[in-house]
Amino acid sequence: MSNAAAKMQRLLAMVPWIAAHDGPKVTEVCARFGLTPAQLAADLEVMWLVGLPPYTPDVLIDVVQEGDRVWVHFADVFDTPQRLTPDQAVALLTAGASVLSLPGADPEGSLSRGVAKLATVLGVDAARVLDVDLGGAGADILDALRQGVAQHRRVHLDYYSYGRDARTERDVDPYLVHAEDGSLYLLGHCHLAGGERRFRVDRIASAALLETTFTAPPEPPEVAVFQPDASDPRVILDLQPEGAWVVDAYPVELVVSRPDGRVRVTLAVAAEPWLARLLVGLGPHAEVVEGPEPLATAGSRAATRILARYG
Amino acid sequence: MASPKLERMLNLTALLLDARVPLPAERIQEELGYPEDRATFRRAFERDKDELRAMGIPLRVEKVPGRLPEVDGYRIPREEYALRDPGLTTDELAALHLAASAVQVEGLPTTEGLLKLGGLVAEGSPDLGVHVAPLPADPNLARLFGAVASRTPVAMRYHEQDRTLDPYRLEFQRGRWYLTGYDHLRHEERNYRLDRIEGEVVLTDLPTFSPPSTTVPGRARGAWELGGEEPVVARVRIGGPQAHWALQHVGPDHVVEVDDDGTVVIELPVTNRSAFRSFVLSFLEHAEVLAPPALRDDLVAWLRAVE
Repeated sequence: MSNAAAKMQRLLAMVPWIAAHDGPKVTEVCARFGLTPAQLAADLEVMWLVGLPPYTPDVLIDVVQEGDRVWVHFADVFDTPQRLTPDQAVALLTAGASVLSLPGADPEGSLSRGVAKLATVLGVDAARVLDVDLGGAGADILDALRQGVAQHRRVHLDYYSYGRDARTERDVDPYLVHAEDGSLYLLGHCHLAGGERRFRVDRIASAALLETTFTAPPEPPEVAVFQPDASDPRVILDLQPEGAWVVDAYPVELVVSRPDGRVRVTLAVAAEPWLARLLVGLGPHAEVVEGPEPLATAGSRAATRILARYG
Repeated sequence: MASPKLERMLNLTALLLDARVPLPAERIQEELGYPEDRATFRRAFERDKDELRAMGIPLRVEKVPGRLPEVDGYRIPREEYALRDPGLTTDELAALHLAASAVQVEGLPTTEGLLKLGGLVAEGSPDLGVHVAPLPADPNLARLFGAVASRTPVAMRYHEQDRTLDPYRLEFQRGRWYLTGYDHLRHEERNYRLDRIEGEVVLTDLPTFSPPSTTVPGRARGAWELGGEEPVVARVRIGGPQAHWALQHVGPDHVVEVDDDGTVVIELPVTNRSAFRSFVLSFLEHAEVLAPPALRDDLVAWLRAVE
């Protein structure tokens, strides 16, 4: 968009607002439209030259700034803002629907009312046409985590560790709750692991807010979901094209294309259940080429255990 | 410093908004002081029109009434230009602003929309308490939303087939955008992943549709529901320690049995068998497919390949 177009869009929004508010304060106009007083004056200057034929002074728009207030007169032609474009509409409704989708959001609150009003003028029922899910969580659990983050209070978690297929109790200093790729995560210092870890909020079975406080780092460190350690054992897999998504999904260390169309990858494995899940999920699309025991047989043993249920 | 171009574009917008009947180009040239040379005028006028349209201003081309031979004229219908006032209160506008600051869709503007609604208002709003990574952009998202809102059937290419559908609904789930719509060729409702749509979605000239009143949204759908296969209902038993996590995924409505030890039996509508299999296998030996036999056999055959 050209500079003129950007300015013009701002003016087409700002002029109707000023005209409708009978001399609003310059500071308020500046705050609402993201301008300094000097930029506001410069932006409005052009309106002196805008109007309708025959462009005589009586039909040109008039801008008056007196003291700390500003008026726009004779701007009837621009008495309403322009309607939202589809990308502006979808951006705002998505933002609103996202926040409302968080567990514990107030379905009667100001955001809910604002989204509903906005949807009405767009001619849609917001709840029917747009749905956003940032990730699951129990409302009370998310609430405890947010309080812990805000008040720097330690939390006690009952957590299901997917990678280890085990439930554990642990104390965590919560640094941040964040939503990414469709899941909610808690980032914090785990006293059980003795370091920074990331937890899937939907795998927290309960969270209790403790009285113990902690000092949060100025910037929460980046913690990946899984960080391979130099000492973690490695396994080598051959993947069929149907299983090649593993290359994008996990930090694989070495990728070699084979003449038969398969891909040979080297993976660091921190916990056996994680590898077992990956292998039973891949089914016929993966084959273990090499790896130390018990990892080399993790998939086949898991398959045997599952098949035992099917008699 | 006022630029002559900005001044001209604003005056062009005012002139066309005020016009009761379409105005011919020569009238616009004369009123707005465009260059007199016809070719130079045409080039400048074309550029201005393109820019106005890029801003979403509905500039229409219609025949000038009463002129023979026919002549194209231009106007901006006020009823298509103007935003109906949603009547947002200050706290509602502030809440929308907070939401838009917290959640962004990559590449989509949030500020411009808020300015039209009354500007950027901050009202001592509490912090959201959750950092939300920007949602992924999709080149067809805004256009599809426009089609959903205007109830216009769309044409698109998906899985190497040209399809026409009534777009009902957009959903963001597990980090991806999905479209639900009624497929004209297959005569049924289907789900489409936006990132698998090939090329651009096109809004058709077909008559507008009425969305069904029966769609019950508001619940995250499982990956096993996002597919085009023949629907079946699957029963799965999940062990106590994993039940909590499973219910976070599927929601409490799907539970048909709860045992004393916390074991649950759930029923899931399945239209994507491979996603269903992945879901069940993620519980390892803590889950078992009870029915239908076809899905049970499918899982057994799959596992025999690993064993």
